Amino acid sequence: MHQRFQDYLLPSGSKPRLVATLTQCGWRLLEDPPGLAAVRLLDSFDWGAYLAGAIVEERLEAGKRRLLWHDLSGGEPTLEQLIFDAPGLARDLAPGPVQGRILAAIGVRRLLPAVEMEVETQVLRLLDDEEKTLVRLVIEEYRLSGKEPRRGLASRLSVNPLKGYEVEAQAVADWLSHGFALEPALRPLLAEALTLGERPPGGYSSKLAYRLDPAERADEALRQILLGLLDTIEANIPGARENLDSEFLHDLRVATRRTRAALAQMPGVLPPQVETEFRAHFAWLQQVTGPVRDLDVYLLDFDAYQASLPQSMRGDLEPLRFYLLSHYADEHRLLVEALNSVTMDHLVHHWRQVLTEPTPAEMAPANADRPIKALADERVWRMVRRVRKEGRAITVESPPADMHELRKSCKKLRYLMEFFQNLYLGQAIGGAIKLLKVLLDNLGTFQDLAVQAGHLQDMAARMQAQGLTGTPALLAMGALVADLLRRQETAREAFADTFRGFDSDRGRGLFRGLFHAGPGGADPGAEPGSDPQPDPGHGS
Amino acid sequence: MNIVGVYSIKGGVGKTATAVNLAYLAAEGGSRTLLWDLDPQAAATFYLRVKPKVKGGGKSLAHGRTDLDGLVKATDFDGLDLLPGDFSLRNMDLMLEDAKRPTKQLLRLLRPLADAYDTVFLDCPPSISLLSENVFRAADLLLVPTVPTTLSERTLDQLTGFLADHVRVSGIEVLPFFSMVNSGLPLQVGLMERVAARYPGMLRTAIPLTADVESMGIHRLPLQVYAPGCPAAQAYRALWAEVQERG
Repeated sequence: MHQRFQDYLLPSGSKPRLVATLTQCGWRLLEDPPGLAAVRLLDSFDWGAYLAGAIVEERLEAGKRRLLWHDLSGGEPTLEQLIFDAPGLARDLAPGPVQGRILAAIGVRRLLPAVEMEVETQVLRLLDDEEKTLVRLVIEEYRLSGKEPRRGLASRLSVNPLKGYEVEAQAVADWLSHGFALEPALRPLLAEALTLGERPPGGYSSKLAYRLDPAERADEALRQILLGLLDTIEANIPGARENLDSEFLHDLRVATRRTRAALAQMPGVLPPQVETEFRAHFAWLQQVTGPVRDLDVYLLDFDAYQASLPQSMRGDLEPLRFYLLSHYADEHRLLVEALNSVTMDHLVHHWRQVLTEPTPAEMAPANADRPIKALADERVWRMVRRVRKEGRAITVESPPADMHELRKSCKKLRYLMEFFQNLYLGQAIGGAIKLLKVLLDNLGTFQDLAVQAGHLQDMAARMQAQGLTGTPALLAMGALVADLLRRQETAREAFADTFRGFDSDRGRGLFRGLFHAGPGGADPGAEPGSDPQPDPGHGS
Repeated sequence: MNIVGVYSIKGGVGKTATAVNLAYLAAEGGSRTLLWDLDPQAAATFYLRVKPKVKGGGKSLAHGRTDLDGLVKATDFDGLDLLPGDFSLRNMDLMLEDAKRPTKQLLRLLRPLADAYDTVFLDCPPSISLLSENVFRAADLLLVPTVPTTLSERTLDQLTGFLADHVRVSGIEVLPFFSMVNSGLPLQVGLMERVAARYPGMLRTAIPLTADVESMGIHRLPLQVYAPGCPAAQAYRALWAEVQERG
């Protein structure tokens, strides 16, 4: 791929005049035969490459398939590598400079087409007296594919300098600007093309970024939050159904969990029958999407599982991979049935209807017309106190179930803080979320490792009962379970210190200042970090 | 970065044709390739239509004062760049003698290009000299075009003897192959059998003597561009495949 020196917009039909003028100016000119390429601009569903400042191009030209990484800022040279099949999951790409960048940008996600185009390329070579090419002028005409009538982009002319001949390229670029009066293209063509696709660049994110008005009615704010989550659920259904990558289902499940948390933690805002009905519906959705997600987690972690074993045992774990894969198709079929079901259809459509139709005033529950900021303060603070109380009650003897309960409370707290983030000072709430995240990571590690170890033990028993495994695989799974449990113990040992960090003077002061400071700001009567109800149970 | 020296003590054996055609094939295969024309005759430079001019001349190269990257010229072929040859390179040996660590200058100059190129071809002038020793120190493998004649066999013996006697360069992989072969000459056939028996590591592919190769000077293009189907072009393709397999 040649570096582009400068791009110009080339008015339609002006090529013959350009050629004639260059010839009159004394340039020897050679026109290469025109080439035709099929171009697809690719990115993950959540625009990982675009957000990393790049555009990924797949180019089929002259029987070769190339993958290119264009830096949108223009500060880095374009990277490219030859590939032999249409790209899909980043981890399935052959190693190379572009694969490395893509993997870092989109992780486990799949490259999906954002825009498909055809491009006709004409190269004009400017030669010296030895007929050596000094500068290449490349004219490209792009048309969007698959649309009638085909939409085009303005033709581009780029000056592609050759190494060692930059002076000549600069002279030609100057002449094109001033002598031939071409208008420079201010925006990279591919960036312009990206905006013509059906998916707006950067248009999907699973991150929460609500803009709520502190004085807004609580029911209106909650509807806004829940509609955003419903959009996320709906956006991910097709990808989860087709199993394009594991993140579709993951995002769908996170949005479902957040919806359930919003319904449960903001009572008295929506009519009680709506709360009850949809809490049950979303519990169902969470349940039917669970088995495939569990298998996804095991398969995504499988290489790490193998790497955690001694070299000589790693191959012995393969029957487990086979077992997971053989169950995947069945579980995914059940998932698709659920996503295509009348229940799901009713859930999505009825839920949107409920959220978009205002509740009649006479049916509005007690909290519906309260200002959202006041209600958010109250609900978040309540959850802060619950987390603190549950955490302080955990001792070295506490059963894992207590840790699990604390994790669930922490998640609810995190979701609430994320819903209402813009109602608070950015730096302060950012710090509070960060503090909570450290605790959540510890609890998550503890819980996930316990669940995985338990499931692996169950799977080993089932595989043995069905005659699907021999002694080496059982031993390898045993070693894996032992490693998971060891890591779980480490997480358990780290809990006390981690919780102390959350429940420190600084932490308490931060949460109180944010959610329990009263209308005038920080609570003047409270000592920094003090707590109205010190709990003696803090001992773990 | 893989460095391939195309070398023979003897002149007129097809070194430059080999270097240009293999460098073209390497680039065509997706390898970022640099061809360094170390011969003051600058024939590779001529074949690729680049002006035979090295800024600062051979002296600045020999003394390591030159940034090699600044001398590189793109050829007309994607992925293939050239470091042009220059008549001032004729005194390279004398100039190297005055340099510090005179046998490692070439390697030192090439090191900064390691990220920019996957493969570097060194088109070497004939003779055995300080410059040759630099090539032996820098190259990962040495392709030795060998015309099936008694004198060529003798220079191949001289080369292998020199490398065996000099411990610092004895690790280099030497891959001789037959070049400019006229299969109609019984004398050549007998000699090829004998040399192949004496050098079991010799590459199997032989490059025929054809007018197509000779006309590189008229076309000033790699053989693959103007006569891709001719026997010599096919032989160079097979030779490059074999080198990659062995390398």
